[in-house]
Amino acid sequence: MPDVKMVNVTIDGHVVTVPDGTLVVEAAKLVGIEIPVFCYHHKLDPVGACRMCLVEISPGPPVAQAGCIRPVADGMVVKTQSAMAVQARADILEFELVNHPLDCPVCDKGGECPLQDFTFRHGYPTSRIDGPRLHFQKPIPLSPNIALDRERCVLCYRCTRYYDEVAWEQELTVAERGVHSVIASQFDQPLTSNFSGNIIDLCPVGALTSRLWRFESRPWDLHHTPSVCSKCAVGCNVTLWQRRGQLVRVTSRENDDIDEGWICDRGRFDYTDVNDPARLRVPAVHGSKTTWAVALNTVADGIKGKGSKLGISLPQDLTNEEAFLFRRLLDGPLRGAKVKMHGRTALPAPSGEQLMIKDIDDARVIIIVASDTENDVPIVNLRVKKAVSKRGAKLIVIHPDAVDLDRHRETVHIRNQPGEAAAEVRKLADHELLHEPGGPVAILYGDGRGSEDAAGLVAACTELAAKVGAKLMPLYRGTNERGSLELGVAGWDSLDGVEALLSWGPPPTAGVPASVKFHAVWDHLPRPEHQNASVVLPATSFAERQGSYTNLEGRVQFLRPAVDAEAPLKESWDVLCELAAALGLPLDYVGIFPIQREAAKAFPALAALAQPPSPEPEPVPVLMGPARP
Amino acid sequence: MSALSSHLLEEIKALPAKYPQPRSAVMPALDLAQEELGHLTPEAMSEVAVALQLDPGYVEGVATFYTLFHLEPVGKHRFYVCTNLSCMLRGAEDVVDRLKAAIGVREPGEVSKDGLFSYEEVECLGACEYAPVVRLDHRYEVDLTRGKIDSLVNDRRLVRSHVKTGVRSSLDTTPEPPRKKPVRRTKKSG
Ligand code: SF4
Ligand code: SF4
Ligand code: FES
Ligand code: FES
Repeated sequence: MPDVKMVNVTIDGHVVTVPDGTLVVEAAKLVGIEIPVFCYHHKLDPVGACRMCLVEISPGPPVAQAGCIRPVADGMVVKTQSAMAVQARADILEFELVNHPLDCPVCDKGGECPLQDFTFRHGYPTSRIDGPRLHFQKPIPLSPNIALDRERCVLCYRCTRYYDEVAWEQELTVAERGVHSVIASQFDQPLTSNFSGNIIDLCPVGALTSRLWRFESRPWDLHHTPSVCSKCAVGCNVTLWQRRGQLVRVTSRENDDIDEGWICDRGRFDYTDVNDPARLRVPAVHGSKTTWAVALNTVADGIKGKGSKLGISLPQDLTNEEAFLFRRLLDGPLRGAKVKMHGRTALPAPSGEQLMIKDIDDARVIIIVASDTENDVPIVNLRVKKAVSKRGAKLIVIHPDAVDLDRHRETVHIRNQPGEAAAEVRKLADHELLHEPGGPVAILYGDGRGSEDAAGLVAACTELAAKVGAKLMPLYRGTNERGSLELGVAGWDSLDGVEALLSWGPPPTAGVPASVKFHAVWDHLPRPEHQNASVVLPATSFAERQGSYTNLEGRVQFLRPAVDAEAPLKESWDVLCELAAALGLPLDYVGIFPIQREAAKAFPALAALAQPPSPEPEPVPVLMGPARP
Repeated sequence: MSALSSHLLEEIKALPAKYPQPRSAVMPALDLAQEELGHLTPEAMSEVAVALQLDPGYVEGVATFYTLFHLEPVGKHRFYVCTNLSCMLRGAEDVVDRLKAAIGVREPGEVSKDGLFSYEEVECLGACEYAPVVRLDHRYEVDLTRGKIDSLVNDRRLVRSHVKTGVRSSLDTTPEPPRKKPVRRTKKSG
């Protein structure tokens, strides 16, 4: 690590020592002083577009200066409360409100809106604006999920900068010029990016809102629960927002080790199934509702002693706790059953030291093999983009088709014949970029959605890693694929020819085999495949479940229930224990904690389960002193 | 069918090499496209984007920023009437009124029925000493009078009917303009 020079700055009388180059707004945060910002966002490059952050800085010209683009210097004195600074910010706010519709009472952002808050804290108490305001169509649908209310926009460009810098797309742009500038999607076509939803979180006003949540509720009426996304193996941290038993929105929860505050659209918008009125809630045998006891006994009778004639389809998002209980069933009464896990890759369990997601930042050369990262591991894809465009890493992609990482002009894209990725990896050892990489090399590999021979590919990647001193990251797809692999339950068997089938979660991808005579379903939604099922058990959705997932880098994270699993729904660990009992294996757990403690003891990879952390405390809001002019 | 001709697309593809940032080529590229089509359609912008390996949205953003890129059809001949200070003092409003009457339109951007003309009001053209001034296509017409405006318009109408019928109007006393292809403007870089 090169030594970073530290400098002393005085902000409103507090002396703070920070690394040279720190921005004034960031230095102020360290002493609990909030400088209001619109365009500045700590994950985007500063632009200084909105001037909300004006403060007095000396030495310097006798005008208020933007604190979001000014790096500190030794001996700098910053005053956020001088008469000049206070008035400058109030004036800026007055301008912001010239065309603002002030429709806070019907605006979804109301209650968590920086414009509202800053106007209260820093603005003039009354308005002098009585002229006509700009009007636009209201709202403009930007995509099926996002609505744009142009007159609320303060033109901070966070949304378009995010699209450009972080997601490497430009389907959202600023059209027109000056006072007529508006945010627009390209040729007014719907946004298609898998990363579009983040602009809702970024927008500091109610210009960009979620159409799924529009007019649903006020933010202060919601209960929120910190949890983990259950849609893929990246394991982004999310906040689940619940109101009256309904999951009403999902937002990102910044974790710099994993997601840096971004989530993909699958994680953000794919939640409405939780509130589906058609949700399965009562167990049924041959189509008629019954009790759990009857239903579970029927299942037990149907699957007991079937050996390899029993097939089990596993969901991709089963928790470690469920997997642990299931492992005990597989070791006991269900020994020999064929298991097929949904959505998993063909990759084997990892061995040796792995690359962590945050290490991608420091890589000088990144090699991505046989993975469509944009869709398979979306937020890892954003990490790679950051390393390339913000930190100058070189990128090599081995994939048969065009991928979104090709948008960078310097991406080296080697198009392999499907199935030949391993051969291309072997050739890489002599690639010019790997001669003098000048720093860490990262190799991320998938399984080409089944088109590659996984074992051969892993061997080739491991070989290359050893040659060039790289670290490896297997790109699993299934949400808890890694945890299930470590617990030895992530089966990859064909279910053809089984006589009894337990479909846990969505039906098997290859369909229900014709040979099945007894079909038990454990799912949260009714589906056509359930038609001839002997037993249907209702399952909890991700929002009602508790437990843990192991993400693709091996990090164990905790899922917390945002919505209560109301009876007759039963928590899945409970169902598994009762099923085990019906199968003659007494599993007596009184709650999820004993399961976690036991799993932690039995599997070193799950050691983190021994002590689930309490949900992190709410961040304390930083407030500025009296600031109104 | 692509909106832009293939030789034009080739020309556009060669542009980025001239700039340190390849995307700087977007302006001259749009300029070429507009020369060819008269105005920039979404298809044309998308083709420029593909040729320059940019996103259509970015190209659209640039095109909408500059008033000299037309997103709607414009007349074959475009009058850019200066209505800034010097010209205003020397009768720019009269020029606008006369021009509207002469080409038969009601507002800026509207195209005359024959498709030949449209006009726009612009800021100072930097030729205040000759006020009132109008830029007609790529030429400045200076020290305008009502008569001069009428003849600028009529000349182009007559040329048009002459070209169409092959017969020159007996009223047409202006010398026959040279029938050159329009010169392609290419913006200088930098
Ligand atoms: S829509 Fe929101 S994020 Fe985008 S520029 Fe406007 S205020 Fe900023
Ligand atoms: S990348 Fe994966 S974990 Fe992250 S939000 Fe998307 S689906 Fe969820
Ligand atoms: S926050 Fe500093 S200029 Fe926008
Ligand atoms: S004011 Fe018309 S040319 Fe300057």
